[in-house]
Formats: sequence, structure tokens, C-alpha cells
Amino acid sequence: MNRSEILKTVNEVFIDILDDESLVLTEETSANDVEDWDSLNHIQIVVAVEKQFKIRFTSQEILSWKTVGEMISSISSKLN
Amino acid sequence: MEQAINYIYNKIEAVNPIHSKKLKKNIAFFDERYDELADAFFKKYLHILQLQNKTLDYAIDCYLQMIADVNSETIEFLRTGKYTSSTFDEVNNRVYARPETMEYYMHGLIMSQFLWRHHYQMLDYFINTLPGYLNKTKSYLEIGVGHGLYLSKALEILDDKTILTAVDISTTSITLAKSFINDDRIAYKLENIYDLDNGEKFDFITLGEVLEHVENPLQLLFKIHDLLSDDGVLFFTTPTNAPAIDHIYLFNNVSEIQALVKAAGFEIESEKSFLSEEVSPEKAEKFKIAILYGAFVKKAKITQ
Repeated sequence: MNRSEILKTVNEVFIDILDDESLVLTEETSANDVEDWDSLNHIQIVVAVEKQFKIRFTSQEILSWKTVGEMISSISSKLN
Repeated sequence: MEQAINYIYNKIEAVNPIHSKKLKKNIAFFDERYDELADAFFKKYLHILQLQNKTLDYAIDCYLQMIADVNSETIEFLRTGKYTSSTFDEVNNRVYARPETMEYYMHGLIMSQFLWRHHYQMLDYFINTLPGYLNKTKSYLEIGVGHGLYLSKALEILDDKTILTAVDISTTSITLAKSFINDDRIAYKLENIYDLDNGEKFDFITLGEVLEHVENPLQLLFKIHDLLSDDGVLFFTTPTNAPAIDHIYLFNNVSEIQALVKAAGFEIESEKSFLSEEVSPEKAEKFKIAILYGAFVKKAKITQ
């Protein structure tokens, strides 16, 4: 799975959790750009992404992401 | 003192902007009563920090450490549907018997009292309801006194002649509570509640967020039933779906708490439930959002 495919799936997870059909993520998107991306939704997103890709993140990874692209790098490293 | 609160919000926003969004939602909710309580609290708290050669930055770091713990416990909870610890020995080794963990955890919890909406709402419920029991309360016991905030409010509200007892199994908690409230009316006891067995009965017992910390909450409620005078009142709070490093017993919903209290021989006089996040009831259920439940209960009348 390449990065743009991962981004597309991650985008779908965000839409589901944040309940916002219009949401379009890029690799540069950060929590500052998405109003509802708060601590509650962040945790729900993490667990939903894990389920979707059948992977497990470490606590360090979860804390280190500043952008969607960094999350995608974590996912990509576990898939490939 | 508004300065202290602003400083806290600004620092949290700089260090943890995602968490800061939750806190900002709370600000819109807080009223004048909150400002009064928070102002008095932070004056006292800053003084205590100063006496311990600590700063507000230290307290904020403690809070953020606690938030990091809660987040990783929540992720594990959502993965497994369970709390990570299931026995008292486990959490004792992990938290209570570790002064360095208890230290940041207690300071983190103190901060949450005025940063989290549901913690403030519950304190407000307690402060508004306790005066209704003033005349009948000659002896008051708090089990699991923690940082002592509820005890300090009880002391303000109750009659001067009321005798207060505070029990906790943690030295850190007792020390912290004592530094908040230095009053001759309070007898602090560093012991397990099950060891409190001198036949003394109490007119009012407070049990704030303790049931989720024990393996068998029904057994604890039976013990409290024994400690309570016949017309005595128990005020207790406990959360549903609230993973934390020292939580053992999982309540999946408010009905489970209500059923347990009834099974222990109590009847509910009044009750409140506060959601820990500002979300719709549907989303709260879907995401297993914690609800803080609190109630004033009395011994149920035995009917024949």
C-alpha cells in the first residue's frame, strides 16, 4: 500500500470519527488545521486506524505525530 | 488569580495543543461561581507549592504527565475493553507504593479539579447539597481523602462542633491533604478503611472516586453501611469507562453503579451524572466516554 492509498484510508477514518464528510486531509494537515481534532477524537482516531490497518502503534509514536504525514509514515513502516 | 489560570492554559496549549482544545471548550461553560472557587483554590495551591519549593510549572508538568498516562490507558481500554490493572496489589506496586508516581499523580489530579468540567460540576453538586445535611451531621468521615479538596469544603460547610476524620492508604495523599487543611477538628488516619473497626459510627461519609480503585466495591459499600449511623448519609462518586493507572473495577454504565449501591442496602436520595467530554449522548456511548456519577444515599428501610 503506497502513501496516497494510506492517506485515502486515513481520511475515511477521520471522516467517520469527526463526523465531517467534507474533510480533506493532506500529509501536511495538523491538529491546528482541523477544529475537531482534539484529544478525545485523537485517541478514537488512533484506535480506529489501528483496527483498519490491523497494526499497533507504540505510545511514543502516538505522541510524536505532528502531522497526518507523520502518522502515515508510522503506518507505512508497519505495513511494509 | 486569573493570571494563574491563563498561565496554565497558555502553557498547556504550547506543549499539548490537542489537549488544550478540550480545556478551551470547558472555559465557555465556567460561571462566576467557578471563578470564585478556582481563585480561592489557586491562591492556596500556589502557596503550598511555594512551601514545597515547587512552581506552577511543576504542577502543569504533573498534569500533563497524568494526561499522557490517561491517554495511553484509554487507548489500551479501547483496544481491549478492559482496564490494564485488575488487582489491588498491581496498582499498589505501580502507583500507591511509589512516592514519585503518587506525587505527580496527586498534583495532576488537583489541577484537573479545576480544569475538567465534570470534576468541577461534581464538586459544585457536593457544595450545593451538603448544607441540607448540616443539622444531622455531628461526625464526618472521608474515605480516600486524596488531595483534600472535598474535605476542605466540608469543613467550611459543616458545624464547628462536627468531628471530621480523613482516612487514606497513601502517605502522599495524607501529607498533601494536611498541607491544604491544617485544622484541629480533623483526625487524619493513614490506614486501610477495613482496619477502621472501633465501633464508631459516622453521620456522613464521603467516598470520592474510590469504588473504581478496589477489587470488590460491593464489599467496600457493605463496610461503609456498617460505619454509617442509622440515619447517616453517604455521598459517593465513581466514573464509568474511565481508564487510569490505578483503576481496577470497571463500571460499564450508570445502571451498574445504581444496582451495586442498592445491593449494598442503600437507597438513592439524589444523584447526578456528568459526561467527561462535551459530546452528544449517542457519541458518548459509541466512544465509551467516561461519565462521572455521584449520589447522596441513605440506608434503605427494611420493609417486612
